[in-house]
Amino acid sequence: MNQPTPEVATPTDIPDAFEFEETSGDIECYRLTDNGLRVLLLPQDGAPVATSMVTYHVGSRNERTGHTGATHMLEHLMFKGTERYHKRTGTSIFETLQRVGAKVNASTWLDRTNYYEMLPTEHLPLALDIEADRMRGALLDPEDVESERTVILNERDRNQNQPVSRLFDEVWAAAFTAHPYHHPTIGWKSDIETITADGLREYYDTFYWPNNATVSIVGHFDRHDVLQEVADQFGVHEAASHEIPQVTTDEPEQTGQRRVRVKQDGQLGAVLMSYKSPPATDPDSDALDVLARILASGKGSRLFQRCTDQGLTSDVFGMNFRLRDPGLFSVFGYLAPEVDHETVEAAIADEIDKIRTDGVTQEELHRARSQLRAQIAFDRDGPMKVAAQLNEAIAAGDWKLYTQYLDRLADVTADDVQRVAQTYFTDDTSTVGWYVPTSG
Amino acid sequence: MTTSSFAASATDGSAPALAPRIEDCTAGPGRLLALQTPVDDIVSWRGSFLAYPDLAAGHGPLQELTVSLLDKGTEHRDRFELAQVLEDCGATLNLSSDGLYIDVSGRALAEDLPRVMDVLAEMLRAPAFEQEEFEKARAQAVAQVQRRMEKTGAQASSALTRRLFAPGHPNYDEAPETVIEQLQQIRLDDVRAYHEAHFGATEWTLAVVGDLDHEAVASVVADSFEGWTAHEAAPTHDTDGRTDVEPGRSVLPMPGKSNVDVRLGHTIPIQRDHDDHPALYVGNYILGGNFAARLMNTVRDEKGLTYHIGSGLSGITTRYQGYWKVRVTLSHDTLEEGIDATTAVIRAFVEEGATEEELADKKTTIPGSYTVGLATTQSLAQSMLTNAERGFEMDYLDTFPEEIRALTLEEVNAAVRRYFRPDALHEALAGVRPETMEV
Repeated sequence: MNQPTPEVATPTDIPDAFEFEETSGDIECYRLTDNGLRVLLLPQDGAPVATSMVTYHVGSRNERTGHTGATHMLEHLMFKGTERYHKRTGTSIFETLQRVGAKVNASTWLDRTNYYEMLPTEHLPLALDIEADRMRGALLDPEDVESERTVILNERDRNQNQPVSRLFDEVWAAAFTAHPYHHPTIGWKSDIETITADGLREYYDTFYWPNNATVSIVGHFDRHDVLQEVADQFGVHEAASHEIPQVTTDEPEQTGQRRVRVKQDGQLGAVLMSYKSPPATDPDSDALDVLARILASGKGSRLFQRCTDQGLTSDVFGMNFRLRDPGLFSVFGYLAPEVDHETVEAAIADEIDKIRTDGVTQEELHRARSQLRAQIAFDRDGPMKVAAQLNEAIAAGDWKLYTQYLDRLADVTADDVQRVAQTYFTDDTSTVGWYVPTSG
Repeated sequence: MTTSSFAASATDGSAPALAPRIEDCTAGPGRLLALQTPVDDIVSWRGSFLAYPDLAAGHGPLQELTVSLLDKGTEHRDRFELAQVLEDCGATLNLSSDGLYIDVSGRALAEDLPRVMDVLAEMLRAPAFEQEEFEKARAQAVAQVQRRMEKTGAQASSALTRRLFAPGHPNYDEAPETVIEQLQQIRLDDVRAYHEAHFGATEWTLAVVGDLDHEAVASVVADSFEGWTAHEAAPTHDTDGRTDVEPGRSVLPMPGKSNVDVRLGHTIPIQRDHDDHPALYVGNYILGGNFAARLMNTVRDEKGLTYHIGSGLSGITTRYQGYWKVRVTLSHDTLEEGIDATTAVIRAFVEEGATEEELADKKTTIPGSYTVGLATTQSLAQSMLTNAERGFEMDYLDTFPEEIRALTLEEVNAAVRRYFRPDALHEALAGVRPETMEV
């Protein structure tokens, strides 16, 4: 068997442009002193590949009314090119990166936008060059905005084809009335149709700065060389001359259950029960992760045994959305044929009530912890998986959530699980959604 | 920008050879391929055996239902006891039906491999097949088919296969309404009989990758599967596509959908070990293999008609022929414009061929992408198993990039002209509004 990874000593051989900040787990954190760019390095043995990722600390939570979908649209436009990397010269970003075999894409979510490349290590400088170039050099051409608008409307239509996707959108919209988690990341249709190139430029100039970004590099690389490359490429940018705007809206306390119903052609109904949950960095969120496992992960889980095994649902899931601001804990069930929504909702509510009243067993706690511990090991299988997990921790506001997660889980007790069930799973802070299929 | 000095300090840029590091041996009744990698604590595995279903006789749903019952209890443990073994250690174990094969896959902490292999062997060899579980599994299978009926992509892809293949071909995907009828006619005795006749160590192969010791894994696998024998079922499947259907269009109206999934395609009369396959693979890659391909460049980037478009060679194995499939999603109001734009790109590509520059790009892209794709234990295990199922030497895992780099433009364009036939494309559309059914 492989030897355990040794503790990482404080690195000494680092370029002058950087300040070493700290190490947590196997991850080293540096700061590019001139512009505030944060850099996280996780060297790994293994295949000669690496993942480069830039996470911008801007997501759909930063959008204002009338400009919903701007973060996502900007993400698309970031692939349309810069002066140096452009389709007209045969050097489009996709073509240039895919030419060397890179797996390349980006994603937008509530709290962040990330751009990533997984590629043979020898081409890592190319990825860093492109990311640094488009950090401040995106063209955002009005013609590209127009063609991309149609693409995004098509993407939105694809989502709308899925009744369950609509159900999630509507539940979040009902659960949040003031906080921007209210609107879907892809944006409202009318906003997508009307947003302008100037609007996107303003958004880009507000948020796309080195001091509002984190560069993560995971895989097989040389520390000194990769840091030097980051300094050379990203060091040309100055920090933003303005304060990066922060979201200040708090969601008002919810004082009564909200209910939504989505009707769309389809075959099987679904129930989505959601409860207001704490921010990702709150220790209660760890207990809710454990609770999600106990409730609905695997055949030993409460809801599998109560619902799926008894023929009430064909599938049931528990999801603790760990976000920067208070979010939702959700239980979702696909109805089995000829089972009604009331029955499934009552069964889920009853199982939740049992946990509120009687708590969970040590055996359940042990099983949930074991599952999560194995999951953490699985999530270290290859640079891309590591980057994806790290990305969500960065977005939540503390990248060390990734490295400290195992220790945080070890602190969760059965009493904690019962307490968070009592604290957060209340009717008055819940939003219940039904997907009701209609026949064509 | 230079890459050479950077690369030299980290790696020489080429992946270390895999084949010499793979331990290829017999373990119990099957073949074991084991590879130790630098990952910590975990192992992943992929395995398969040939079941040889009689697909024309409706064995497809029967095989799927049989597989779905394997984890619902054995002669020795009930379904919850089986699940508890896995869930207590956070391991995953999946069994699935894949045409001629039954596939197994999973991952676990390395220390838990023995107990998970025991469970796997028990599920495959001694399922309980109880009536109550059978009824539930059948109801869940019906529900899964019903959920697939809501998905425009699945519906369009399925409809295309019915235009290209007969029910006896592994690439044929039966209409969901028919599958539901077939499922409802299956009895528990049918499942028992199917398991008896089609489950066994016929070409049983297991690939295990991760933080492992070769000899220890061989011992665990040999112990777990000792005494498992091959079954006697023989292949009955079609190997070629249909030749009796003229190109045409299948339209599946689906009310309430905002988007139409379109599939275009025709059969490809070669198998995976044919000499033309590498050139055709690269030719397709240039047309629709990735974001930088011609279809994406034109139909998405230039015309803005779709979110996603691409093409691929599908269902081509060393046991049967497959097909070429182009997939695109379109809005209702740009449906015909989008299909026309797609076919125009295809026609131009077949007539003009790829360029030297495009081929040169793909000679970097495909080997690089191949290296990137082998960065996890799961993907390594899958590649090793697929290679074994094809009957290829393990060396092929290392020589594949060279095979791609050796292709000439003439070979690629000759393959494109020989096998891609724009006039022979069938179309399948799912998600159109009922009132526009006559398009």
